[in-house]
Amino acid sequence: MMNLIPAIDVTASALTAEKVKLDVVSQNIANAHTTRGPDGMPYARKIVSFEAELNRAGGLGGATGQGVRVGQITEDKSLGPLVYNPSHPDADAGGMVRMPNVNLAMEMVDLMTASRSYEANLSVVRTARQMAQKALRIGS
Amino acid sequence: MIDSVMASENYVLAKKLLDAAAFRHELIATNLANVETPGFKRVDLAPDFSQKLGSLVQKGDLDGTRDLAIQHHEDTHAGPARPDGNNIELDRELLELNRNALEYEFLAEYTSNSLQRLKTAITGRVI
Repeated sequence: MMNLIPAIDVTASALTAEKVKLDVVSQNIANAHTTRGPDGMPYARKIVSFEAELNRAGGLGGATGQGVRVGQITEDKSLGPLVYNPSHPDADAGGMVRMPNVNLAMEMVDLMTASRSYEANLSVVRTARQMAQKALRIGS
Repeated sequence: MIDSVMASENYVLAKKLLDAAAFRHELIATNLANVETPGFKRVDLAPDFSQKLGSLVQKGDLDGTRDLAIQHHEDTHAGPARPDGNNIELDRELLELNRNALEYEFLAEYTSNSLQRLKTAITGRVI
């Protein structure tokens, strides 16, 4: 079936994926100082990876419409910094506390790229709508 | 009279190019959706489409232009790939998006005007 608004499903999949990424980044930032999770370990930073997804065969020239989806959300296994803070409840015998491996600068960069991609995809929707409106006005 | 508009070279070509522009919009949307997908290569209209169309027009083969397939291809030489193998540049795609939309508007306007002229001829008054 031909879409009234061209490529809207491709763009929709991208908006969803970028939103998942924003969710995960905000989770990382929220837990930047969480020293004890459900497993008793400091919080491990989550990483989102995207993969292309063939939405449907069709279009004018054959298989097109490669949307995007969240491939997997993995944990960054690297160890966070050790901070000397003997009064902390999670401090070990030597008074050292293992902090989460969240780097705020990196999270902010991820946040910016995700929000810029989100904006870019929104402008695709805007343009697509204008094109559809133009097409609907043919002959009038 | 109706045939002279419906089968005129410009009208037929405008329809074909409208199809191509709509398809190209889908391809650019695909590129922008996958701007962060590792290993993704940008897609675009096959470069021989405009060449084929041009030679068909020169030969005056209108039926040939109707049947000309609009295909896409992977643009692997689009510029330096990032370390993850993705070669999409956000600014370039947005630029192409706007250019393509303008082209689409122009073609829609042209098609519209062709039909307007026909209406004027039928009714005898300028609408």
